[in-house]
Amino acid sequence: MSARIPRVTLANLRPAPGSQHKQKRVGRGQGSGYGGTAGRGANGQKSRSGPGVRAGFEGGQTPITKLFPKRGFINQNSKTWAPVNLDRLQHWIDQGRLASSPEKPITARELLLSGCVHDVHDGIKILGDGAQHFKTPIYIKTSRASKSAIEAIESNGGKIVCQYYNSLALRDCVKGRTDRISAAPTRREDIVWYGKYRNRGYISPGTLQALGDLPFVEDRWKSLSTQLGAWKKQEFDVQKKK
Amino acid sequence: MLQSTISRASATSSSHGARTMARLAPRSRNNAMSHPPPSKRVEPILEPVFLALSHPLKGKTSIADRNVAALDPTVFNHPLRRDILHLCVIHHLDSLRQGSASTKTRGEVRGSGIKIRRQKGSGRARLGDAQSPMLVGGGVAFGPKPRDFSTKLPRKVIEMGMRVALSAKVQERKLGIVSQLSWPHGKTKHLAQKIDQLGMRKTLFVTGEPKPPATLERAIGNIEKVKLITTDKLNVYELIKWPRVVLDVKAVEYLERTYRKDVPVSPVPIGN
Repeated sequence: MSARIPRVTLANLRPAPGSQHKQKRVGRGQGSGYGGTAGRGANGQKSRSGPGVRAGFEGGQTPITKLFPKRGFINQNSKTWAPVNLDRLQHWIDQGRLASSPEKPITARELLLSGCVHDVHDGIKILGDGAQHFKTPIYIKTSRASKSAIEAIESNGGKIVCQYYNSLALRDCVKGRTDRISAAPTRREDIVWYGKYRNRGYISPGTLQALGDLPFVEDRWKSLSTQLGAWKKQEFDVQKKK
Repeated sequence: MLQSTISRASATSSSHGARTMARLAPRSRNNAMSHPPPSKRVEPILEPVFLALSHPLKGKTSIADRNVAALDPTVFNHPLRRDILHLCVIHHLDSLRQGSASTKTRGEVRGSGIKIRRQKGSGRARLGDAQSPMLVGGGVAFGPKPRDFSTKLPRKVIEMGMRVALSAKVQERKLGIVSQLSWPHGKTKHLAQKIDQLGMRKTLFVTGEPKPPATLERAIGNIEKVKLITTDKLNVYELIKWPRVVLDVKAVEYLERTYRKDVPVSPVPIGN
């Protein structure tokens, strides 16, 4: 096939041209360009061996990080929802970029892949702007939904359910992975929120009844519903009056 | 005639193709709203590499005469990249370095820390303890210490190196494929004669079995300029070092399974 190219042996391998650097040899005489001060400039703390001054040190004057008082706070529990309004959703459906069926509802993955959202952040929230333009019955599964969006979707004959996604579950959803069981809510606020029919939470008995046995309803939701809804029927000991 | 020119290797490669298609089909159906990626829409431009089988050490030569292996082009027809081979070889040789050279510093050399002569008045140089690197019998300043010379190389680069090395062997016509590697009698002298007769000196034999046959292993162990290894021991360095490489069909299957890329390949023209 090719007689002119020399045979590949251990002797004629070489790195790609330009991929390697020569080591900088400091303090090895004037001719090297790094003799004398060895590239460290004239005397001072930074010309000595050792780590030098710490980051943010301004020579002894009050550094800018200490000059101003701290202000505000960071809410560790806050979530950033990626908002999707109903008119935008309708536009995407009209263009044929989104479709849903009882087997395959719209999730964060479809919204991201179709370009309806550019980032799923901590989950998708469906909002009700442009509800008057919304006409299609859709099946959709998101993290949150507003009251008006729920009303508009269901009045058009669609189904919406809000599922809890932690960051791993959301990543699996977006990547289309199904080999892992998605985590159940563990925080009290989440358990209560997703247990309410008002929010169309996926562990609320009302939502599960309304969805019936649609193909995308998972069996696990029912067992979660009984387990995480048990607190509603629990009675606590009341001390008897003596 | 040509119907039987397709060896087991080709049969497996086409079954790989079938399996990948089976795996891809439902995914694209689920994703009805999105278009399939361009790689799935285009006609395949890669064609399998056809290679005549070599005569086996033992067994019917008619199998070799009447069969051809159809090899995956992503594994056996990769463009030559000497720089990638260089990276893989250097990475391998680095990993072989023992790094056990060791010397004693002044702290580790045996002896007392007492000052060996007084500071002033002796008329000689100032000295501290007897282990100073300046003195005979003292510690070594900046001497070698045991260390790990192994370097890291991305897995994908190593995989590409294997493709390049195998493809280079195919290009140079130095890759042989045999249906099976065996030597039932285990006699070294006869195997050496057979290897000479087949012109298979300076050859690396690679078997895809988890453990090579005991008789062959015993017979080949003491023959000069040949080596027998299993596929999990195969690396870029060995492939480049040995002028000739002979794989058995199971080794080809293993290499195709491990290093193939998921791109469409023209089907093998069977039966025309």
